[in-house]
Parts: sequence; C-alpha cells; structure tokens
Amino acid sequence: MTNIKTILSVILFVITTTMGVNATVLDSLSYDVRLGYALGGTVPTHISNEIRGINSYNPGFNFTVAVEASYPLNERWSLHSGLRFELGSMDVDSRVKNYDIEVVRGEESLKGIFNGNVCIKTTQRRLTLPIQAAYSLSDKWTLRGGFFMGWLTNRRFWGWAYDGYLREGTPVGPKIEMGSEPGDRGDFDFDANMRHMQWGLDVGADWQIHRHWGAFAELTYGLSGLFKSDFHSVETLRPLYGTLGIIYRIK
Amino acid sequence: MDCIIRNYRHLIIGVLATLMMTLNTSCGDEPDGCEADIETVTLHVSSPERFFFQATDSMQVVLSTDSVITFAVRGDADVTALAPVLTLSQGATVIPASGTTHDFSNGPVIYTVTSQDGKWQRTYRVNIVPTLVTVADTLCYDFEHYELETATQRYYQWHNVLPDGSLGNDWATANAGYRISMSTALPEDYPTTPLADGYDGAAVCLMTRDTGPFGRMANKRLAAGNMFLGTFDIRIAMSDHLHATRFGIPFTSRPDHFTGYYTYEPGPTVQDFYGNPIEGRVDSADVYAVFYRNHDAAGNEVVLYGDNVLSSNQIVAIANLGYYKPTTSWTAWDAKFVYREAIDEQLLANRGYSLAIVFSSSRRGGDFIGAIGSRLCVDKVRLICTHEE
Repeated sequence: MTNIKTILSVILFVITTTMGVNATVLDSLSYDVRLGYALGGTVPTHISNEIRGINSYNPGFNFTVAVEASYPLNERWSLHSGLRFELGSMDVDSRVKNYDIEVVRGEESLKGIFNGNVCIKTTQRRLTLPIQAAYSLSDKWTLRGGFFMGWLTNRRFWGWAYDGYLREGTPVGPKIEMGSEPGDRGDFDFDANMRHMQWGLDVGADWQIHRHWGAFAELTYGLSGLFKSDFHSVETLRPLYGTLGIIYRIK
Repeated sequence: MDCIIRNYRHLIIGVLATLMMTLNTSCGDEPDGCEADIETVTLHVSSPERFFFQATDSMQVVLSTDSVITFAVRGDADVTALAPVLTLSQGATVIPASGTTHDFSNGPVIYTVTSQDGKWQRTYRVNIVPTLVTVADTLCYDFEHYELETATQRYYQWHNVLPDGSLGNDWATANAGYRISMSTALPEDYPTTPLADGYDGAAVCLMTRDTGPFGRMANKRLAAGNMFLGTFDIRIAMSDHLHATRFGIPFTSRPDHFTGYYTYEPGPTVQDFYGNPIEGRVDSADVYAVFYRNHDAAGNEVVLYGDNVLSSNQIVAIANLGYYKPTTSWTAWDAKFVYREAIDEQLLANRGYSLAIVFSSSRRGGDFIGAIGSRLCVDKVRLICTHEE
C-alpha cells in the first residue's frame, strides 16, 4: 500500500513539475537544491496541565534535502513544488500527573492513570510533496506558502513510563510502581499506530544572496496528526518545526 | 508557572518552551489528585504494651488492593473508644474524619474516602479485633473456599477456614501480578487455579505459565504458579518482584509436621532467563514451610521475601523434603520441622513468630527459569503442632 502511494505521488510530482511537457514551460522553470536543518519536532495540540514539566528535550538530528522547481505565473507570482526527503527525530522526557496511559503489546494491554516520568522517542523519514504559491517581494526576497502531502517511508514512536506508579484501570485501581530499568518500567511502542500519510501547511521565505546561492526559512505545521484517528494512547501530536537552510540554484 | 526546563543542551529548548507557552497554558495549575486511598492507619492508646501484642502493631501500611484493614489486638483490650489516625492520598478527604473516636466492639467502622477532585471514592472497613491466642493441635488447609477476585473477576483467590469457622485471607497468590502482563487471560489460564476434583474435594493447581509479549519484552518470560501464606504486594510486582511476595502470617502454635498430598508433572522444556531451552534439565517443585521470628533484635517488623525465605537468619525452623518426585497420582508428603533454636514461649504467645507455607510449580520461577506447563497440585495440607517439646 505504501509503495503504491509512493509511486502515485512521484507520478503526481512529475506531472506537476513538468505540466504540459511544453518546451516553453520547461524553459521558464527554475530549479534549485535545498539543504536544511529542522528545529522543533512533534508537539501536542493541547498541552494539558497533566504534563508538569519537561525534564529534557533533544531534537535529534533533523535535516531536509529537496529538489524544487518554480514556474512563474506573472512578474510577481509563481508556483512552487518539488520533492523533499526529511529525516526527523526527537526525544522528550517529561514529568506527568494523572496522565492517561495505555501500554499495548500484541493482544495485551495495560492501561490506567500514571504519575511519574514519561520518555518519548520518535524518528521518521518522510517524502514530501509541497505545493506552494510564491510571491517575489524583490530580486532577493520571495515569500512562499501552501500545503504539503507527505508519506512516511520509515516511522518509529516508542518510549517508556518510569520512576512513578500506575493506577491500573482507574485512579482507585491497584497501584503498580514502575522503576527505571528495562523490565521494571512500562515500555510502549506505537510504530504500528502511526499514519503513513501526513499533510499540513507550510510558509517560508527565500533570500537570494548570490547568483547561485541563497538561504531559506520555513515553518511547517502538520494538520493530520502523527497517529491514526482511532488511536488514543497518547494525546494528539502534530509535527511543528521550523527549517533553516541553504539554496543552490541550478537554473 | 512551575514548568522547569532543566536541560540546556540545545538552544532549541528555549524555542520549545516558548512554543509551549504560546500554544497553551502548559504546566498550568497542578491537577487535583484523583486517588482515594487510606495509606496508613495508626492507633494511639495510653498503654500500648497492654493493648498490642507487638509495639509495631500500632501502625499499618495499607496495600492499594486492600479495603479491609484489621488490627489484631490483645484479647482483653478495650476497643469501645478508639480514634484511628489515617493518612490519605494527596488532597483526599475521609468520613468519618481521621482521629475521631469510634466504638469497634460491634464490628468494623466504615470509612469513605473521596479524592481531591471529588470524582472517586473508596470505602474501607476498619476492624480492631480482640484476639485470643489459640494453640491449635492441627491446622487444616483444604482449598475448598475460592472465588473470583471481586473487583476484576479475572482470577481466583482463596480463603482459609479460621478456628471459629469464619473465612480468612491467609492464602495469597501472584495471580494479580500475572494480570499486569496478560490482561486477556481467562481465570482458568492463570498460574494458580482451583481444581474441582482434587484428592479430597477441591485442590489448588499451580502451573508455570507463559507471560506473553509483555513478559518477553521485560525478560520475565514465565510466571510459576504459586500460593503462600502471606500477602502479595502488587505495588512492586513489576519493579521488585521478589519483594512482592511477603511470606508468613503470625502463628501462635509450635509447628511440628507439615503434611499434604500432591501431584507434580514437570513441563517439557526448562528455559533460561532469555527463554532458551536448557537441555537435560527437569523442572522441580517447591513445597515447604518456614517458621520465623517476625521481629529483629532491634524490634523492627520482619517479613520474609522471595530472596530470603529459606536463608534469613530470622528462621527458626524449616520443613522441606527438598525433592518432590514427579507423579500423576496423589502422593502424600510428611516433612518434619527441623528447629535451629528453641521456641520462646512468651514470644509465641505475643504473636512474635510467623509461619510461611510456600508452593511453587517451578522452584526457580523467581528468576524466571522453569518449564512452561509444569503443574503442581496440592490438597489436604496439615500443620501438626505440639504445645511443648
């Protein structure tokens, strides 16, 4: 299924970027290669007061490689698209109180109310197709905005509840302490519950510094969430990150 | 705003903190407590030595799974006007209030605890029971009284018959712990189950079970069937399982012989901690009784655990045949208590000794080594006691 989606999406990309297969269209396209580093990660849409604090946050190594093309519509406006490969990871360790949690393994699950610490680790590799409208403020500055479709080629979401206790089922259920070592803590693994497809909005700005070289900044916000809609073990998480990078203009 | 960002490894932390503040009132007011437990109960009386058997009896730590709290006090103690002092979950309230005086001579006083957020309640029955020290000749354990655990209806629990004919809660199993890893298991699939047709009426059946995907993840791949006199502390079943089995109940007679009937069928393949088969090894059962001093020299209460029940220097006597030959037909055992020291009669009368009886379908189950399928059935257990040597 993933492969079919990937192939379809690549076809879509080719169609979008070579629309009309017309020499004049091709001639008027400009291409660039982008290399970016993303700051940010996956955030809850609503940070409840059940999350009492962040013990540590590590955004990991997040980068983007992209080949993008622009098609001018008039003097100021142009269409912007391309193909991006994004690699992201994040570790968050937080303190929680009265936190609903469900640990699932195969058919078995352990759920209840957790007080203590929760460590979440996530990595994802994503192929993204952005479709944006671009507006040139000047020769040097261009603003862009639009939406993107992304499909995850690899995704991991795991972690553990530790140094705390679970009230099994309800707050008056059996109290079960969790330690910090593997086997004593509550490990969870939600890879299978993650979406393959993601979509969302992004806005950005390009700054042409030199004939071939430039810089860009972009803010990406996922609308689709990280997990399938029937999954409720963790709160709704959405990708939100800013990317800073360099542009090399091929043509 | 008590959201503290402790780790300044990356500049981005500041960005995240800003985002959190922008998106919502993150780390806002601390949510109200939702728990409604009595955590401890303490009795303050004017002359504790005439009221309690042991000084440590005045305070009890209440397990999260308990809703009946019983103080066994001296037979002539006056329980008509006592004011238990309770500690509760954070922010919880209790009716009647902690420290108010009640008459416990007509049975338990019922306390209702409400969580700080007002959404959850628990009721507790607190008994303060004047207890006559009885010296029995023979104690009988026949495993005829069992039922599904009340709250979950997922696994069985057993009751012993007390001298007055009422039912006690002296037998414990680790079934509640098995439920953590195998939430879908049926009552019959738990490590400790009743056997309707035993040697004489019902018996108890202990089987070493696979702990499923959670067990594999945690390197706790099996659960031996077990049953013991004592309590099971679910709180530390995951974090410190050997201390979750609290072996022993106060015992006021001098045990002399430990007898009963068993069948034992070792499972096909003994596996090690990592689940790998150990060729040529046959699983073995544990069937023993341990008599020990339940306070140390400094007066601290002592309970024996999975890691010292056969090695503690508090032990006074052990009855253990050591080897229980595999057999599918009911076979009698008779193990004599071997004493290491003389009994202190005064201490015996003051409930200063405890007795643990332990059955397990895999002797090394505590280390998660054994054969899945090993099956030990036990019936008609007797403790034959003597008044004096």
